[in-house]
Amino acid sequence: MSSSAKRLQKELAEISLNPPPNCSAGPRGDSLFDWVATLQGPPGSPYEGGTFFLDVQFGPEYPFRAPKVTFKTRIYHCNINMHGQICLDILKDQWSPALTISKVLLSIASLLSDPNPHDPLVGSVAAEYLNNRQAHDKRAKEWTQRYAR
Amino acid sequence: MSRRIKLTVVGAHNLVKRDVFRLPDPIVIITVDGNQTQTTTPAKKTLSPEWNENFEVTVMNSSVIAVQVFDHKKFKQKKDQGFLGVANIQVGNIVDVTVPGELERLLTLDLKPSRADNVVSGKITINISSQLGGTALTVPGQVSRSNSQASMRPATPSGTAVPSALSQPQNSYPGVRAGSSPANGRRQLSRTEDEQGPLPPGWERREDGQGRTYYVDHNTRTTTWHRPGLPSNATQTVGRQPTQLASNQLEVERARMMQRTLPTGPTPVPQSVPSSTAVTAQPASTSQLPLPAGWEARVTPEGRQYFVDHNTRATTWHDPRVPRSNAPSGTPPQAPRPPTQPLTPQTLASSLAYEQQQRLATLGPLPSGWEMRMTNTGRVYFVDHNAKITTWDDPRLPSSLDQNVPQYKRDFRRKLIYFRAQHAMQKQQGQVHIAVRRSNIFEDGYAEIMRYQPSDLKKRLMIKFSGEEGLDYGGVSREFFFLLSHEMFNPFYCLFEYSAHDTYTLQINPQSSVNPEHLNYFRFIGRVVGLSIFHHRFLDAFFVSSFYKLILGKKIVLKDMESMDAELYRSLQWMLDNPIAGILDNTFSVEEETFGVTTTFDLKPGGRDIAVTDENKQEYVELVTQWKIETRVQEQMKAFLSGFYEFVPKEIVSVFDERELELLIGGIADIDVDDWKKNTDYRGYTENDEVIQWFWKCVQTWDGERKSRLLQFVTGTSRIPVNGFKDLQGSDGPRHFTVEKAGDPGQLPKSHTCFNRLDLPPYKSYELLVQKLGIAVEETVGFGVE
Repeated sequence: MSSSAKRLQKELAEISLNPPPNCSAGPRGDSLFDWVATLQGPPGSPYEGGTFFLDVQFGPEYPFRAPKVTFKTRIYHCNINMHGQICLDILKDQWSPALTISKVLLSIASLLSDPNPHDPLVGSVAAEYLNNRQAHDKRAKEWTQRYAR
Repeated sequence: MSRRIKLTVVGAHNLVKRDVFRLPDPIVIITVDGNQTQTTTPAKKTLSPEWNENFEVTVMNSSVIAVQVFDHKKFKQKKDQGFLGVANIQVGNIVDVTVPGELERLLTLDLKPSRADNVVSGKITINISSQLGGTALTVPGQVSRSNSQASMRPATPSGTAVPSALSQPQNSYPGVRAGSSPANGRRQLSRTEDEQGPLPPGWERREDGQGRTYYVDHNTRTTTWHRPGLPSNATQTVGRQPTQLASNQLEVERARMMQRTLPTGPTPVPQSVPSSTAVTAQPASTSQLPLPAGWEARVTPEGRQYFVDHNTRATTWHDPRVPRSNAPSGTPPQAPRPPTQPLTPQTLASSLAYEQQQRLATLGPLPSGWEMRMTNTGRVYFVDHNAKITTWDDPRLPSSLDQNVPQYKRDFRRKLIYFRAQHAMQKQQGQVHIAVRRSNIFEDGYAEIMRYQPSDLKKRLMIKFSGEEGLDYGGVSREFFFLLSHEMFNPFYCLFEYSAHDTYTLQINPQSSVNPEHLNYFRFIGRVVGLSIFHHRFLDAFFVSSFYKLILGKKIVLKDMESMDAELYRSLQWMLDNPIAGILDNTFSVEEETFGVTTTFDLKPGGRDIAVTDENKQEYVELVTQWKIETRVQEQMKAFLSGFYEFVPKEIVSVFDERELELLIGGIADIDVDDWKKNTDYRGYTENDEVIQWFWKCVQTWDGERKSRLLQFVTGTSRIPVNGFKDLQGSDGPRHFTVEKAGDPGQLPKSHTCFNRLDLPPYKSYELLVQKLGIAVEETVGFGVE
């Protein structure tokens, strides 16, 4: 078995035994390199009550390279665009082999609680977040109702 | 309420292929509510065209913008006009034009059929912007493109890089395609008019073999690129046709390459050796004159003035500005090297005296006071009557003793003179004729260059483009190497690919064996690179630093990975810096995905069964680095080198280091410091800080070579993107040149090539900055930046 597969099995065992709060993750089918994850909208955030699905793709050089994580459920968030791409440093230049999918999901959950409008992927959402937080939260709740129920 | 907006037709992807043997020439027609028809110029033979054309239209919220794609070749056909799909944009659904203020939307739309019975596929990308005007012409497209590339990268193992390179070859060299295709989209115009109306009397408009428009003035019997009756710079910006824009871009590249140089003049640039004893003023009238280049005046501890000739590393009492007969006699203060028992490089020793004399005759006269003599065994040696010493070393060539003298080690010019004076680098008698078609330069060039023996190709090159007049007095072969380098390194052919770091440094494509003939092509490319060096021509190609190191036979280290694959570099570096027990379960093997199949390779015998531990991880990192950079492409590299060394023997080229080799192959560019400055970001500094002002002042005073070396130091290559510094790429997309306030004033500046960043300590004086920056830029190669 390849070293990436070995490592993924270990992560799978860990996340099944000891799943992080409000998350779940596991292989979609037979491949150990293609996972599906879910994330519950964090309490207190406009995403509360929503269930968000994510795609997680690992490459053969995992964990030397970051997994590719995308939202499959639409979400109104300044760091996540309409294609589900996430702007998160640990998925880019701050990736380290010490990180695991479980830590990545926790980071994404915390990104939902605390968006980073100063490094936005969707400029208009970030501007609204900064200038009219109420309208932003209202829209985010609406989208959660519409897409993440 | 209506509003004027700018539509940018960026490109389409995965269009339907209607013909088996032919690709369409896609063209986009835009209408707003059936009016305001606008048309792009056709893209050529592609299913994933890029237009990047801007149109201004007036829309209301209720407007429907119809974006239709046709095959230009079939546009006149009655049946369906070569219809390739339509996307309708209901303006009100996308933006609210009644609300004033900035708007910007990048849309990727599915192409739909117009009738139920036609099949279409693919997507089209359109940008809607409130920002009118032409300056931001290609920005939206480029931004989106580089974003999507950046986000694709992590999930794109090198195996799948091939199809993406195939689908977007036009990204790489937009100019080549457009340049070779005359603008078909224009309506038929007579020779005495163009899009801007009739030409002045006596003028005629023509196109050259590449579809470039030029103007003939029959009154004065001259030709010009500039349209008469317009200020010359106006023609550069007239019109928004991408063919014109793209061919302008090719022109920019061509002009830039033709300006590249190497420092081969007869006199080296003086090395500014700071010396407390340097004499600056002297009463005699001769002292008003500058010393010859490379000379320096000094005084002995006793106060007597003497002169140092850094070119020959000799000293003399004699003022080189004073004619010899007036020279005061005396003994020089020190003899720079022992006059007897001279040493000589192996290469010189093996040369026959006759050949030596012949090649030395090309170097110009000896310095004043020098004489060339021959021993009774026929070996040439030199007498310096000024210093009363003899030496085997030609004073016009760099000394073999340079290795111990750091300030000369970097003297590229001297290395170059030495290099070109070598017997193996001398042209042979006679001429060799090479005829190619411009449109088929790769294949024709291959056939021509591979059918000759290397000894034939060492004769004077006479290149001829078929159907074109023109004798090759240098210009034609320069054009030949320019065009050929665009073709053979085009990632489209899967021989080379862009490094993960940016979109302009090249590396060998590990999957090049998709072309069963690839090794022959690599040998050919090796020949072309060697040939261009041999004939003092440049290629418009820049490689990752490790490629140059492999040519020089140097050891590959982890640092070389940084400019190729920053993500892997960081992970391997992390592995060295942190305990890995319980985190990494690697063995001494690597897995590679090639066309969807994952294969395991052992890094050493039985490697897949040997666990990587904290004890042996250093070895693992070395092996992985070597495998990634060297082993994967060793067959290709071997083939390349077999062609390259036919013209440039390894032992001769290895006088250079990898950065110098880059300059030797690509030439030293004429760098526009204003553009550089304009597109520089600061962290911790502002543009107005004293240190930053000093920095630019220092850069301004530097010659082309040093500027190129600074760029190499900070970005990993001396290549500048076609559109200038604004398009500089980092490992994660566009990255401006950045100067960050970091480090202690006692330290040297550092660089992070994957972010194009220079860490510049806040130096306390201009002189200190000049000194530290100079050392960092000139001395760090091969040492690895901390």
